[in-house]
Parts: sequence; C-alpha cells; structure tokens
Amino acid sequence: MSSYFRITLMRSAIGLPRRTHDVLKALGLKKRMATVFHPVSPSVAGNIMKVKELVEVQEVDRRLTKQEVHLERKPDPGYYVEKRAGTELRECRRA
Amino acid sequence: MMFKPSSPLLSGLLWKIPWRLSAPQKARQRKRLRGVDRVVDTVSAALERNGFTTKSVERWYAEMPREEEMLPKDKYTIFDKKEKKYRKGIHKLPKWTRVSQRVNPPGF
Repeated sequence: MSSYFRITLMRSAIGLPRRTHDVLKALGLKKRMATVFHPVSPSVAGNIMKVKELVEVQEVDRRLTKQEVHLERKPDPGYYVEKRAGTELRECRRA
Repeated sequence: MMFKPSSPLLSGLLWKIPWRLSAPQKARQRKRLRGVDRVVDTVSAALERNGFTTKSVERWYAEMPREEEMLPKDKYTIFDKKEKKYRKGIHKLPKWTRVSQRVNPPGF
C-alpha cells in the first residue's frame, strides 16, 4: 500500500539560502500555507529534511484535490438549506 | 542627577538586542524544536512503513538530540569563540527561528 506525504509550508524561506528556496520549488510549495501531496519515497523524504524547520508533514492514504484541501479550511456557514427553491416550486405545482 | 548619559540616549538610532531570551521567547523556541522533532518522526515512520531508509533521517537521529534530551544551555544559547565563557544567546544567530542549531563543537 502506498501512502503520501501531506506537506504544508508554515514558514516562508525569505532570507534563507537559495538552495532552500530551490528545495521548496522542487516540492511545489510556492507560498505559505500551501499544501502539496507527494508519494512516500526516499527522495521526497530527503527534500523534506532540507526544509524541516519550515513545513508541517503528515502521512496520508490518498492525495486530496485542491478543492478538498480548501473545503477543510472553510468555516461553518451558520445555516443550512432545508429545501431548494426549484424543488419547492415543483412540489407546489404538483399539489 | 536627572539625566543619565547612556549610548541609546546620546545617539539617535541604536538597536538594543537583549542579552538573553524572555520566557515566552524560550517557550516558542521549545515549541519550534518539538515541531522539527515531530516532522522528522513523521517522515521516519512513513519511510519505515513503506520499507525505505534515508541517510539524512538516520544521520539526524544519530547526531541530533531531541528537545526533551537537550540541556537548557543548548536550547537557548550557542557557542561563540569571541564571547566571555564562550556562550551567547541563540537569538544572536541569524535566522535563528528557522535553523536547527542543537549541538556544540567538540569539547564545549
């Protein structure tokens, strides 16, 4: 079973050596709080070790899409929709 | 005497970096150290589960102490050959919140 590293950039590499920037670029981390998924492999592990002070890492079973990562951070809207307008209209017509 | 001449009062822009860390700074430093430990542990566990080994992870475990194993001296100060008693605050190290500085030169 293959698993993935879920890597989130917590600290920016501003002012750090060029190599550090290049490692982040190789991992696909362009800005702070960006999240990427990479299969667990020695080369990715080596890259994470280079920037271990800047990132947070989790091991996960599958890659999440960008949309799913975004929805994790979305706050509760504070309401829920009981019925859509279209459904209600159709029910009224039927009655 | 009301006016006490000191270098910050006599000149304009003079940066004063305190010689030691404050308690919250030290707490944040410990938190960062534990964060790095956590990242290395996660990476190591994931590699082990998939049957890989990586030199950088092994080397980290062989050479670097964990946060709870470190002495306060090593957490908050750093070796400097130019200082009295060879120690200075770790906050004098450039980019000190984003680099791993845990061990001393041999003999110190």
